[in-house]
Amino acid sequence: MAFVSPNITTYAVEATEFPDLARKYQVTGVPKTVVNDQVEILGALPQDAYIEQALSVLSPAASEPEHETKR
Amino acid sequence: MSLISPADQDKLREAFNEMTSRVRLLFFTQTLGCETCLQTRQILDELPPLSDKIAIEEVNLVLEGEKAKQYGVDRVPAIAVVGEDGAGAPGVIDRGAGAPGVIKDSRIRFLGTPAGYEFISLIQAVLLVGGRKPSLTDANRQRLAAVNTPLTLQVFTTPT
Repeated sequence: MAFVSPNITTYAVEATEFPDLARKYQVTGVPKTVVNDQVEILGALPQDAYIEQALSVLSPAASEPEHETKR
Repeated sequence: MSLISPADQDKLREAFNEMTSRVRLLFFTQTLGCETCLQTRQILDELPPLSDKIAIEEVNLVLEGEKAKQYGVDRVPAIAVVGEDGAGAPGVIDRGAGAPGVIKDSRIRFLGTPAGYEFISLIQAVLLVGGRKPSLTDANRQRLAAVNTPLTLQVFTTPT
């Protein structure tokens, strides 16, 4: 994802080596993704759903008609 | 003694053979108080002998704090995957800062020892920056390319 957009940065964080970060973001299971310190994505999702959730941080509520992810 | 079995070395060598551009792994470390830095360095040192397109550059978090900051790294061990050379991989966007056309930051970072599954992820990142086609669908690639505000993803994992 970072590779295709100059505005995106990704960090793969080894949770056991950085317990402070794991605590800060309340990581109780992996994989867990935290986007801009706001949105959390739990588990490994299919590509479309993952990107949908990651980008949801940019469009607060509203504009999300069809791609609603079922949980 | 190598940390990677001869069979896996062959597989990696073959995969790296497909690389069309050079990749530099910036390894952020510090001399004291980093239990896993040595192990990380040992893992990284396994890669350049398998491909002349891969290089490791060590960056000391304490002595080269400015550089670490530039790459958004504030703890160690950490790895930044950057593309090298001007005739670079298609799709890589030059960040503008720094030497133009020489270093192309992929903005892909690894915090912690790249062992277990993280090692696979690191290899995937190297191949991607080295020229392999991204696994993203065209539609998703367009969506992401349109992102015009900073987006930071932290993906937490554990060694497996």
